Amino acid sequence: MTVSEVLIQGGPEPEIDPEPSTGEIAGRSPMRIAMDRLRSDKVAMVCAGVVLLYVVIAIFAPLLCRLFGVELRAGTPDDTDGFNFPVIGPPNYGFTWAAPLGLEPNSGNDLLAEWFYGARTSMLVASVSTVASTVLGVVLGLIGGYSRGWADRVLTFLTDLFLTLPFLLIAIAIAPILVDRWREQPALLDNASLIAMIAILSVFGWMGLARLIRGEVISLREREFIEAAHVLGMPTHRILFKELLPNLVAPIVVSFSLTLPATIAAEATLAYLGVGVTGRPSWGQTILRAQGWFEQYPLYLYAPIVGIVVLVFALNLLGDAIRDAFDPKSFR
Amino acid sequence: MRMKRTAIAASAIAALMLTAACGGGSGSGAGDDKNEFQEGGAAGAGKDPSATGPKAVPDDAADGGIVSVTTAVAPSTLDPTRTYYVDSGEIMSGLVTRSLTQYVYDEKAKDSVLVPDLATDLGQVSDDGLTWTFTLKDGIKYEDGTPVTAEDVAYGIKRSFAIETLPDGPTYQLTFFQDGDKYKGPFADTEAELKKLDGYEPGWYGGDDYKGVETDGNKVIIHLAQPFAELDYYASFPVFSPIPKAKDKDPLAYENHPMATGPYKFKSYKPGTSLELEKNDQWDADTDPGRIQKVDGFSFKFSQDTAKLENTIAADTGDAQTTLTYDNVTPQTFKKVQTENEDNLILGPSPCTYMIYMDQNKIKDKKIREAIGWAYPYKAVWKARGWIDGVTVEGGAAILPPGTAGRQDYEYPKGQDGQTTDPEKAKALLKEAGAEGFELTWYYSKDDEQRVAAKDQEVKAYEAAGFKVKPLPATSDTIRDLTSDPKAPINLRSGGWCSDWPSGGSWFPAQWDGSLANKAGMPNPANFDQADADAKQAEILKMDPADVPAAWGEFDKWMQETYYPAVVWGYSGSAFIKGSKLGGVFDDPVKGMPTLNTTYVTK
Amino acid sequence: MWAYVVRRCLIGVILILAMTLVTFALFFATPIDAARYACGKNCSEEQRNITRAALGYDKPVVEQWAGFIQGLFVGRDFPLDESQREAAPDQVTHCGAPCLGYSSFNAKTINELVADALPVTVSLAIVALVLWLIGGVLFGIMAAINQGSFLDRGIVGATLVIYAFPSFAIAVFLLNYVAIKWGVFPYPKYTEIADGGVFEWFGNLLLPAVTLALLFLAGYVRMTRAFVLESLTEDYIRTANAKGLSQGKVVFKHALRAALTPLVTMAGLDFATLLGGAIITERVFNYPGLGLLTIQANAASDLPVMVGVVLLAGSFVILANIIVDVLYAVIDPRVRVA
Repeated sequence: MTVSEVLIQGGPEPEIDPEPSTGEIAGRSPMRIAMDRLRSDKVAMVCAGVVLLYVVIAIFAPLLCRLFGVELRAGTPDDTDGFNFPVIGPPNYGFTWAAPLGLEPNSGNDLLAEWFYGARTSMLVASVSTVASTVLGVVLGLIGGYSRGWADRVLTFLTDLFLTLPFLLIAIAIAPILVDRWREQPALLDNASLIAMIAILSVFGWMGLARLIRGEVISLREREFIEAAHVLGMPTHRILFKELLPNLVAPIVVSFSLTLPATIAAEATLAYLGVGVTGRPSWGQTILRAQGWFEQYPLYLYAPIVGIVVLVFALNLLGDAIRDAFDPKSFR
Repeated sequence: MRMKRTAIAASAIAALMLTAACGGGSGSGAGDDKNEFQEGGAAGAGKDPSATGPKAVPDDAADGGIVSVTTAVAPSTLDPTRTYYVDSGEIMSGLVTRSLTQYVYDEKAKDSVLVPDLATDLGQVSDDGLTWTFTLKDGIKYEDGTPVTAEDVAYGIKRSFAIETLPDGPTYQLTFFQDGDKYKGPFADTEAELKKLDGYEPGWYGGDDYKGVETDGNKVIIHLAQPFAELDYYASFPVFSPIPKAKDKDPLAYENHPMATGPYKFKSYKPGTSLELEKNDQWDADTDPGRIQKVDGFSFKFSQDTAKLENTIAADTGDAQTTLTYDNVTPQTFKKVQTENEDNLILGPSPCTYMIYMDQNKIKDKKIREAIGWAYPYKAVWKARGWIDGVTVEGGAAILPPGTAGRQDYEYPKGQDGQTTDPEKAKALLKEAGAEGFELTWYYSKDDEQRVAAKDQEVKAYEAAGFKVKPLPATSDTIRDLTSDPKAPINLRSGGWCSDWPSGGSWFPAQWDGSLANKAGMPNPANFDQADADAKQAEILKMDPADVPAAWGEFDKWMQETYYPAVVWGYSGSAFIKGSKLGGVFDDPVKGMPTLNTTYVTK
Repeated sequence: MWAYVVRRCLIGVILILAMTLVTFALFFATPIDAARYACGKNCSEEQRNITRAALGYDKPVVEQWAGFIQGLFVGRDFPLDESQREAAPDQVTHCGAPCLGYSSFNAKTINELVADALPVTVSLAIVALVLWLIGGVLFGIMAAINQGSFLDRGIVGATLVIYAFPSFAIAVFLLNYVAIKWGVFPYPKYTEIADGGVFEWFGNLLLPAVTLALLFLAGYVRMTRAFVLESLTEDYIRTANAKGLSQGKVVFKHALRAALTPLVTMAGLDFATLLGGAIITERVFNYPGLGLLTIQANAASDLPVMVGVVLLAGSFVILANIIVDVLYAVIDPRVRVA
């Protein structure tokens, strides 16, 4: 397990399903069985609903803003008083539909719009980098596991190397370097910081899955159907992707579902350390700004924290449920 | 004088410069009479050449205790020769190094007064104004017990000419002292070494012999190239503190432990992190009219998180009761402390002006410059930066901040009081100039949330006025180097200036002299180079000292009206918080810093 | 057996070397002029050149790397430039092996900086380790023996909620409420045992250590619970139960034993990672450990410190991995051939 305070891969250690399952009818694909089991899991379904809600928010952030009548980064100095506190809504005035989550002190920007777009940034970074790290992990794991010989050794070494590099240290060191690189093109820079964040999270996120896949492949490659395919002269890439990959769906899905929440937390943490995505709203950056106001204006700080905690919690529970559903031990 | 430096950007709300806002015309202040502070008068203009030690200690001062000072910024250097920022200036002059003169805060007048320090008076000037003589007091010793000599003071002055080895210090001596342009300090003493210096010219010299400073027994005699009526003020800088040559083998390392002559000496110093001071038992209160030595030591913590340090001091429990910060307080903490414990709030003026310098080589049309003045979102930027209108920032059009002797309060362009944004006027001016869509470009620190927020407001406002914009990102680390590069691809430079002493003499010759334009380091950030302006300045420098302040005030107005090379977008005020068990803490209007030299722990 | 240990160590050394190479490439192949930062922000061209030579930045990256590696084994003298050393022999700083480099920003060797910071981080890591191990095992067992009950669900649910908090949020909450607002603990500030005694040392460490412990707790609770549950169904436990042993004895003597190896493994690796600096916790609580050192080095663009700390942090992890692997090999001989 890669460690550091930000757990970038995987959630808590696997838990063995405490409840031995009742007999399942044979003849269905493992995927089907897992899906059926998942569907009957109430907690998992509630979590899936929550996650779906976040996805909807992320995708339709502009629409939602219009729906609530709020606008991103539209604050003016007239929106805040002499102490730079908002003149409407919390903390000094009651709830108002004009700004359901209140206005940001100092700038007067709307916090609900900020929150919606923050969800967008968070989901975008997390999903893209998790997909990338999963692909990376699967490919490297397949190659390493199947190739025996030097390729395996090199990949194992690479995996070990990346596991040893301290993720946070390297991430905070790279950020200013990127700024220096793209200074002359500000438009590019904002995208650059997004791409860089995705790259950092992907490059430090594949090792766990690669190890897992490699192990699985090593045990699978001795099995008859692979031997047979080999003897029949099937090309290696076909064996890898047509024969081996379908048998690895379970670990891949489980790993993906547990890496996603960890990545979201990692992104927020990096933003908190001042090296997150810039040029667009982000929960981590709102938290960074809101810290000094926690006493006078708690909602300012709590809204993005709740956003992260609920999403990560739902994703973790869902991930656990997916893992349980795929757990071969509970098939018998 | 320069502003404090931001160290860790993410946390630094604040604190850049200081200045403030003496009462008048603060417009929409925080809406509370308590926020209005007293008129500061001519900040620091008072002098008392006959003041003698010891400084009276208030009755409620306890013996012992440690004063903690926490701040989001960090001094870039504590070398006395290089000390040119208000924070390091207060630490060094207030506690560690004694200079020829010093300021002491007068509670009744709510102002700082210039009094003698190591010298017996404020200096004797010859009739032609070209020779100043300072006589040192007897019995002054360094922390190790060795006596301070006039040669040591002279060595400190000579050291300040070595601006390549020890950059970043104040540089008036180069302009005013005899051979200031030729003497290159004590380190480069051979022809070969001199040739290595930037811009070498024949006739330069270095080493221990310098014609501008001589000693005679316990007298330090300074020879000038041109009259410098305000040298007594300048003599309060740590440049005029004694440095024993024997301890200066590695000039760059001297800042790790400068020899103390003040009531406190270095115990440990970690650049950028912390500084611990302990009592200097060689300091004699009887010789010092400005400092006291009641607490056992000072503990400075630099580069701290603003929210955390404010929360801690505002909570006012335990060690926090003897903690203070010299960073300007954020609005939320200001409000909290003002309601809960107003005595822990220290308010006052400070001598700095924030400006947008418009590059005269690139924005040649004055109409465009005026358009920028109308387009600028003054109040929005103040709020984005987390400042409090009327407390930590105030508007005005003059370059000289309120409280400067001779300052004129004027409006330019007509109706612009330094806080009015009018995109329509800007648009009209741009149209007149035929420069619609003129591109404005400048650097901002993208790792500092508040500066990014301010940048967003600027972008919005400029675009509303019909400008095109291209803000270039930099980091807090690199922005100063980038901005001070004359070849930088920008036409606006945001910055500011603080008084070195409360007169225009520490403003215009230092930043608005034509000979400084287009130079490395951009000492003249607007590249302002106009012959008539230079002539006027030269004239003022030759005037009778009594007429000088008013002449600078007039020059300020004339320069802005004629050329408008800078948008003045605010003067900063001081608003610090402290723990309830600290006494003797006031805002020193000369530096806009708390008076550490008189700080004590209460009984 | 010894062959295995030697092989494992060899791989570790190669890993460390590879890591130094990667870090060097990352930090020094960037467009940033390292000398400009090392020399300070307002440094003349002449000084910059001196600094460049003093720190060896005028040499190609590969050569710098070779010098660094050499320093690791035999130490180095700063400034690296011989003529500068001869010019001012009293200014030479010796950096003994394993030399991690020299920070001109601090005017100290990285070894000295690390020597100051490491005890803080180690103290923090030890207290946190003890807290999360005790907490994790106790809560895990409690949940397991009350499987399916309200308590079980409560424990598992609570740890998951805590686990969902970003680490900095926990730290910020604890500091702002527990220490500053409610004043339950004094504002944590690191005190050495030598200065304030064990109690003050521990009292000041408690809050940041609790933060760290909470971060790691979830994993340990769940793992303990799972292993105890699994072993409770094993035959030998049933036998023990049948013999009439008390449940507490059964759990602690038998069931827990199965969980011990994976727990110790995980704890060892987590501990090793923490030794590299608990960046966020140290930053929030302002603890002068390796994490804060790194943050400050980063803020000052003090590249040598970054390289040194990255290397050190990585080495702890490598070392812990070797120890764990070797211990496994001792326990289970089949591992050796794998």
